[in-house]
Amino acid sequence: MDRRILEFIGDLRRAEIRISPSEAVDALAASAEIGLGDRETFKTALATTLIKESRDLATFDRLFDLYFLDLQALGEGLKKALGPTDPRIQDLLERLMAEEGIELDPLTELILRGGGTEMEMAIRQGGQHVGLERLMYFLQIGYFSRRIQDRFEWDEIERDLARLMQLLEAQGLDPGQLARIRNYLDLRLEAFRRLIRQHVERELERRAYRQGEKLTREVLTDKPLFALTADEVAQMKSVVARLARRIKDALALRQRQEEKGRLDSRRTVRRSLQYGGIPMELKFRRRHREKPKLITVCDVSDSVRNASRFMLQLVWSLQECFSRVRSYVFVSEIAEVTQAFNTYPVDKAIEWALRSAPVDFHCRSDFGYAFSRFCRTELESLDRKTTILILGDARNNYNDPQPWAMKHMRERVKGIIWLNPEGQWGWGIGDSVMPLYAPHCDVVRECRTIGQLAQVVDNLVHHWWRRGR
Amino acid sequence: MFKSVEDVQERFREASYIANRRIATVVYLAERMGRPVLIEGPAGVGKTEMAKVLAEATGRRLIRLQCYEGLDEGKALYEWKYAKQLLYTQLLKERIGELIEDTHSLPEAVAKIAGQDDAFFSYRFLSPRPLLSAIQADDPVVLLVDEIDKAEPEFEAFLLEVLSDFQVSVPELGTIVAKHIPLVVLTSNNARELSDGLKRRCLHLFIDFPAPRDELEILRLKVPEISERLAQAVVTAVQRIRAMELRKPPSVSESLDWARSLVILNAETLDAALVESTLTMLVKYEKDMERVKGALDKVLADLG
Repeated sequence: MDRRILEFIGDLRRAEIRISPSEAVDALAASAEIGLGDRETFKTALATTLIKESRDLATFDRLFDLYFLDLQALGEGLKKALGPTDPRIQDLLERLMAEEGIELDPLTELILRGGGTEMEMAIRQGGQHVGLERLMYFLQIGYFSRRIQDRFEWDEIERDLARLMQLLEAQGLDPGQLARIRNYLDLRLEAFRRLIRQHVERELERRAYRQGEKLTREVLTDKPLFALTADEVAQMKSVVARLARRIKDALALRQRQEEKGRLDSRRTVRRSLQYGGIPMELKFRRRHREKPKLITVCDVSDSVRNASRFMLQLVWSLQECFSRVRSYVFVSEIAEVTQAFNTYPVDKAIEWALRSAPVDFHCRSDFGYAFSRFCRTELESLDRKTTILILGDARNNYNDPQPWAMKHMRERVKGIIWLNPEGQWGWGIGDSVMPLYAPHCDVVRECRTIGQLAQVVDNLVHHWWRRGR
Repeated sequence: MFKSVEDVQERFREASYIANRRIATVVYLAERMGRPVLIEGPAGVGKTEMAKVLAEATGRRLIRLQCYEGLDEGKALYEWKYAKQLLYTQLLKERIGELIEDTHSLPEAVAKIAGQDDAFFSYRFLSPRPLLSAIQADDPVVLLVDEIDKAEPEFEAFLLEVLSDFQVSVPELGTIVAKHIPLVVLTSNNARELSDGLKRRCLHLFIDFPAPRDELEILRLKVPEISERLAQAVVTAVQRIRAMELRKPPSVSESLDWARSLVILNAETLDAALVESTLTMLVKYEKDMERVKGALDKVLADLG
């Protein structure tokens, strides 16, 4: 059994669940403690020792079911796959075998009597030495099914069946009846072959579980945002959710790590009174960590739609984590969307921001106008703790870029970070005014792919909020 | 020692706690393997309660360490009673004088006093905090480390060290090894990710909101005076409210409170007006409240 458990752990690891050797040892110990009497209990024992993140539980459940097949349930399914038994023929064959007392190949017997569970066991046995561990792709299914089939002695079965038919003929059954019986036996043989194939398919799912998903994710991470299809956008959502979580964890941690500040003489003296005036315990001032204040400004014009979608999702998650986030969207008119983002669930909020926010979606994006408006109305509320995060391609459609607005904003805040979903080679070419804005930004990053977005997030977490101004 | 998983369930029930098979299996394994259990799950599903019941069911004493921001080793492990030490030195000044009376040089006097310093750094002046008491205890105990996610990662690392060896070293006294391995239960609300090391060390148990059947049983057990019909209705309604996307879905403790208040109000069945007026027991946010009120007819559909 230990070998089976270790193999199962291999499956889990392939599905990207991290399991350390010590946890594997625990799983073995736990299963020894619990025994194999009860399937559910056994499953819990493995889950509690191996799975330490509740989000991995679903994967565990699926793989457990694939690996430790529920033979009972499977047997039922297999019976169905075998097709209905014909009791009359079954009877006839039974009687015949009893009367003549013939020796049959075990497999023939299986096919005649056909319990699903026993068949599965036989198939599994047959599959043990055909190198199933090399099974990785869906194209290999046929090959491996055949290899397992070859483990069985089909000639023997064929001979047995022929012998049976002869005996039946000798008993004086008419050709019609004989044909029906033969047909019935052939169907069962066919079903058995199908079972083998199903077994191999299950093995493949087990081995390759989530491999495909991993591959897609890796490819998508490096695909330019504008080239993602709607489906791919949906798939990448979980990646962004993870990013947001990372920001949240890192910042929450940082806020709590209060480094000790200077000696607090008042509290130290007060404390020393109970020790007869000896400063036994030193008290320090707490250094107040500044709470990051974040303003996000997101271009929602058509040219950067995919990128803004991710950005908005990130913004939404940030808003959920921190109290001091304000969000704006613009095409040329700029509007605050904080309230809506606080109210709506994430999907609805994004759709709303991309379609029905109080900005005109039909005009051409005009960064200069948006920033100058922002500057006029919101400048007062900016302060040294604020970070402004701008997402846009800085394609200004030859409008006046009004870089003075950026300059004013920069003077009042901790810093401005610009994420540009367009490749760096394009900045400054055509109607791009990135070079005019860049001098007023502290960080300007190309953000064409999810991978780059992840880097930016890491950077924010590790450097930006760590340093003072 | 528990005899079997069923035995765990049985004894937990006697302590009025409905443990499903998963919970019982993990508890059983934890005791057998001497491993800490890390319980995660939404607030109010009985994580802390489980530790208390575990203590009751095994007849062990419960020692609780509540974690919070800024909890440090000193507060969790031990502290010297400085004030008492000082007081004693003051009182014993004369004896000390006597002690060094017949010495002739300073080094000699220092040596003499050094020979006595155990007197001041002994258990007498040590005030054990939860962790040390759990390790020192003469009888087996249950150690509950509540809301470990609230403490800093540094503390977590320190705790990991204690939990893997069950020994602590007090520099002045030497190493103290546990007489009995305590049963350790840690709870977390997932306010932050715990370190991998700690997770590796522990058995993991995720307690979710109970299935309707279990919740009904909990309700009957904890609010015995509730009528069968009302209990059914309460459970169904609570399950439906949980299915809505709320900021904070009602937990078990809240549904128990609600049931109790309904009993006090002598309610026989649920109706819209009654639910609306008692909703504060169940839902704690203004926005959630509005949402539930908006969908009240769905919540109460065919509950009579």
